[in-house]
Amino acid sequence: MIYLPIAEMPVNVLLVLLVSGAVGFVSGLVGVGGGFIMTPALIFMGVPAPVAVATGASQIAATSFSGIMTQTRRRSVDWRMGLLLSIGGMIGSIGGVALFEQLLRLGQLDLIVSLLYLLLLSSVGFLMMRESYRFWRGRPPKSVSILRRPLKTVAHTLPFRLRFPRSGLYISILPPLGLGFSIGALAAVMGIGGGFILIPAMIYLLRMPTNVVVGTSQLQVLVIASLIVVLQSAATKTVDLVLALLLMVGGVVGAQIGARIGAGMKAEYIRGVLGALLMVASIKFLFDLVIVPEQPYVLGGGTW
Amino acid sequence: MRRLLLILALALLTGAPVSAQQPEAAQRPAPDVAADLPAGVAEERITVSSTYGGSSITVFGVNPDRRGRGDIVVVLRGPNEAATVMRKRRVFGLWVNGDPVHFSEAPSFFAVLSNRALRDIASPQSIWLYQLDPAASAQLASAVPAGGDPSAYRAALVHLRREQGLYQWYSRPPREGVRDGLTTYPGGLFRAVIRLPANAPIAQYRADTYLFRDGRLISRQQIPITVSRIGIERTIHDLATRVSWLYGIVTVLLALAAGWVAALVFRRP
Repeated sequence: MIYLPIAEMPVNVLLVLLVSGAVGFVSGLVGVGGGFIMTPALIFMGVPAPVAVATGASQIAATSFSGIMTQTRRRSVDWRMGLLLSIGGMIGSIGGVALFEQLLRLGQLDLIVSLLYLLLLSSVGFLMMRESYRFWRGRPPKSVSILRRPLKTVAHTLPFRLRFPRSGLYISILPPLGLGFSIGALAAVMGIGGGFILIPAMIYLLRMPTNVVVGTSQLQVLVIASLIVVLQSAATKTVDLVLALLLMVGGVVGAQIGARIGAGMKAEYIRGVLGALLMVASIKFLFDLVIVPEQPYVLGGGTW
Repeated sequence: MRRLLLILALALLTGAPVSAQQPEAAQRPAPDVAADLPAGVAEERITVSSTYGGSSITVFGVNPDRRGRGDIVVVLRGPNEAATVMRKRRVFGLWVNGDPVHFSEAPSFFAVLSNRALRDIASPQSIWLYQLDPAASAQLASAVPAGGDPSAYRAALVHLRREQGLYQWYSRPPREGVRDGLTTYPGGLFRAVIRLPANAPIAQYRADTYLFRDGRLISRQQIPITVSRIGIERTIHDLATRVSWLYGIVTVLLALAAGWVAALVFRRP
């Protein structure tokens, strides 16, 4: 047992390491950041929601930095695109932290976060299961369907166009800025990295080649997560350094092991299982919102 | 038992805990009652280190009545803080927190110990006057929304805090093998043990000891107890509150270092 100085509660060190390791393992296996599993897991363990959201961001920063180091060596980071996404993301996360503070004060943080998680987990879970099912049925993988779609999107027609040599694109800077902004705001409120929304958006909306998508999204996630940690420390004082260290160690080690094992497995099957898990989790969120509460009164101030 | 008497005797000799203090939060006019009840605490400082998992506070003393008449009541209070209670409402099929009611102050921790039911010891007026019930110290700061009942909000606050272990009631002597509660010994000696859970606030507490007879307060005593962080817990908390920007930057740098080390260690050939 160790006492967390900011969360003001004792936690079991082994349990936290195990949970963060498991989340890291899953994220390495599937190739997602894992913030959207980590934050609810921490809250489930009794960590106050504001501390879980703010502290989870530091673990996301650690994981994405280790990812970028690997991706840079493979020259698969589009720095120019990453910078644009980050600028949008920074503005978004500043707004997100302000919104977080406001919701906390109004006592509505739990509702908004529950609703967002419900939407997010059910839609991502559904998409993962569908993809896995199609693969199992032997349907063509989605890369073929990308080619069949028109290559020009709204990103190609808007003004302020810029060349992105690494991605081989000549598109407007507005969609990347807007995309970065939304992900930044979501990340600040929900305690997620946002990679699993960002990656599909980069492929389908910006038409970026898949080989640079992962590294570039990690760059944006790193910048946003780092900024959120600093902003939350200053604004809400809810970053717990001791918890952060435990999460970093568990998450980073788990992710590396997961990535190794994942390399030798069929990704589609893993995604199907994870998708099912996310669906179950989202049903839990739905139940909590819909069934008649046992206790009609609640204490205000960040209790989930 | 003998050890307890020894501690008590020592405490009485040094006289340290038996400092006659006037109640600091005398919001309501309380009649003057001699603050001369001989009582002390076993630990005036409770330190929170990285291994902290809750603690317990022992208050001991002697009933000054030679014939042992009257009832002892011990109350441990945390500082008063603002609190908000909301009621769940149904909006489009979803349960939403609404109708907030603010309390300008409510005890952050409250434990009351007695040998029998409090209402048999003190009159309802005394319970309210000396704030022997947490609801008595909860000050409403806002109007209750239409259709709401102020006493229901007050009761909800007490109920929710009780579930968190922050409000405790002990109204009978502890059972065999249990230390928590108020135990009286022959000769007027009493001992009150209060469990301080790990989620109790880190703050300045005060232990109040009262002697009631025939529903009236005869004598009282107040002893401050400090719960504070030490060591690394204190350093981290001070950094986080005083130089919060720097603290955030240090956390990020640590995260980057952890990521860097991981990427090096697990480098693929």
